Amino acid sequence: MRAYIGARIYPVDAPPFDDGVMLVDDGHIQEVGADVRVPDGVETVDLSGRVVIPGMVDAHSHAGMWGDGEGDASRDGNERPGPIAADVDAVDSVNPHHRSFASCREGGVTSVMIHPGSGNAIGGLCFAAKTRGEIVDDMVIRAPTGLKGALGENPKRGSGKDSPKTRMGTAALIRDYFARAAEYGRKKDADKDPDPDAGFENALRVLRGEIPFRVHAHRADDIVTATRLCEALDIRYNIEHCTDGYLLAEFLGHRELTAHVGPGLSSRGKVEVANRDERNAALLHAAGVRVCLVTDHPFLDVRYLMAYGGVAHKHGLPFDATLRALTLTPAESIGIADRVGSLAKGKDADFLVLAGEPFRYRSPILSTFVEGEEVYTRQQP
Amino acid sequence: MLAIINARVYTGTGQVLPEAAILASEGRIVAVGPEVRIPPEAAVIDARGNPVTPGLVEAHGHVGLANEGVGAEGDDVNERIDPVTPHARALDGIHARDRGFEDFLQGGITTVQVKPGSANIFGGSMTAVKTRRLPTVDAMVVRENTGMKAALGENPKRAHGAEKDRAPYTRMGSAAIMREWLFRAGEYRRKREAGEKGADYDARLDALQPVVRGKVPLRIHCHRADDMLTAVRIAEEFDIPYTLEHASQGFKIAEYLAHRGVSCAVGPSMSREAKVELEGVGFETAVAFARHGVPYCLTTDHPVIRALYLHMIAGIASASGVGDAGALAAVTLSAARHIGIDDRVGSLEEGKDADLVLWSGDPLDGRSRALSVIVDGEIAYEES
Repeated sequence: MRAYIGARIYPVDAPPFDDGVMLVDDGHIQEVGADVRVPDGVETVDLSGRVVIPGMVDAHSHAGMWGDGEGDASRDGNERPGPIAADVDAVDSVNPHHRSFASCREGGVTSVMIHPGSGNAIGGLCFAAKTRGEIVDDMVIRAPTGLKGALGENPKRGSGKDSPKTRMGTAALIRDYFARAAEYGRKKDADKDPDPDAGFENALRVLRGEIPFRVHAHRADDIVTATRLCEALDIRYNIEHCTDGYLLAEFLGHRELTAHVGPGLSSRGKVEVANRDERNAALLHAAGVRVCLVTDHPFLDVRYLMAYGGVAHKHGLPFDATLRALTLTPAESIGIADRVGSLAKGKDADFLVLAGEPFRYRSPILSTFVEGEEVYTRQQP
Repeated sequence: MLAIINARVYTGTGQVLPEAAILASEGRIVAVGPEVRIPPEAAVIDARGNPVTPGLVEAHGHVGLANEGVGAEGDDVNERIDPVTPHARALDGIHARDRGFEDFLQGGITTVQVKPGSANIFGGSMTAVKTRRLPTVDAMVVRENTGMKAALGENPKRAHGAEKDRAPYTRMGSAAIMREWLFRAGEYRRKREAGEKGADYDARLDALQPVVRGKVPLRIHCHRADDMLTAVRIAEEFDIPYTLEHASQGFKIAEYLAHRGVSCAVGPSMSREAKVELEGVGFETAVAFARHGVPYCLTTDHPVIRALYLHMIAGIASASGVGDAGALAAVTLSAARHIGIDDRVGSLEEGKDADLVLWSGDPLDGRSRALSVIVDGEIAYEES
């Protein structure tokens, strides 16, 4: 057991307190609070003057599967020219030794949901992992955690002969696929033994409510199409990116949707992101949308997730909501809040030590802990 | 006349004046200091103790050429027809109404050097403009032709090479093309000056004359350390003025660069490692340059990183080890020096252009906002 003492602690699911104590044993938080007694003989780590927050949770990442100076050789995010790749599983593309995981730890991200890309109308299974480890299966927190879908420009760009050419084409493909998956499911239920189909099996997990459909949509009309498609199918879903969300904030707020807003700090590179606005997260939050701030790593380098939080906060997202959008809300959205996302008794000891208050660029992350192990230590400049 | 009073003034020359005023007239700064007499006819902005800095200077941007949110129709960055297009001029491609300029004003940037892209070995000449929205880009120009864009490394290979089945396919091929054209430009000069035959007008060789005559620098895009060394090697062979653009792996050769005193536009430091040549990109280079005395400025490469975040980049650089004074200089006076327009912009001194920013708080804290941005003595932006 080890006791971390003296820091100002933001548990996230409870008010912050000064001069806190956190007892960690066997990778888990035993106790956390201002009045926790440190048992005799326990090793203590003095964090006076420091700030402790939970390890951040990035609900939309491509860590381990592309980018980071590796070129085409490790571009493993989008399977086949399209349009449907429901059968693939992101777990099978992830390289734990990819430098992106070191970037995650440096950036204070201790849990990620890794998605396939958005090149296909249906792109494959997502999963949740810790950002430390050698064997991807050992890093998994939960798998699968969703099926990836995509609307808008990206699936239209697919080079496959069956790739959609229009937005209505993409929607039609998704509708058709789920309809056929439902038919497949009915045959299975009736013991008619349809030919095994891994894609339909994954779509059935969505139709049966086991995992959500996680739909990439930037432009307002694409976001609305996502709601139309998913509500007709009566499936659980959330919006990935949600760049134009602020233009529809009330519409989305009524639905109590979760939006994975990001990648932050990025430019208006595509037509569908022309309305990018720094106030998006703040306006969605104000309308009642559950907001997660995401990097879409490598599209925002995960080392700057905290800086992105600072920008969202600067543009109106309240401090507590910003902190939650980087920790507990994404943990809930992914379905791993029983283990991560806040500092509470019984949860994994995933936490960050900051030099000062969060979101100040002068108070960098000094160290990152995953399950009680220090996995990143800032080098003194 | 415009006066800013009760300001905490960062002069950009290393001084911080805790309670000072700035007086501007006819677009120029006429007085800065703790005891400036404010004429009754001057319009007055009360800073209420908030910081005022020089307008930030972005030494490397593509605003107006990379029209944002428009798609292919608004992409005017690279003239990809051939790897050698020195006769293209950025000035002819800048859309003064590109919404990207909003980012600059909102981010407190008042001057930007707009460059052609890096698809070509010689990409074209560049221009320095103010970010104040005027009906014509010509009215925004601070200085036209502030350098010739050149590129080494992955980009020219990707834009030409195997895809188009033409040179350059390799890094050595890129270097060979650069040498060939610098040599031909030198011969062209010699023949023209001597009135010899065989030197008929050639747009491309003509456009390279300011470089071979030492009037403007060759500004060479290079990320990987070996590409930077190639840039130095070629520039020294031809004895031409030059700068290094990006210099992402500069931390590996900082001492070597310090000996040469070459100015480097470092960034975008927050870039992702989208390409192999970006391995190691981050704030290490700025820190190494500060430590070894390499002249450098920080850039966003807008829209690669939005110009809005330039002051945040300076803040992160400061915390990474550059320090406050160095970080602020890297986005003001050092950037103006890099462009070669420090006689006009980059610091708050008498006689310089009245370009300044009133901030809501510490300018190196990303949470601070530009409250008022003044360009040429006129209010160009005010927070709504």
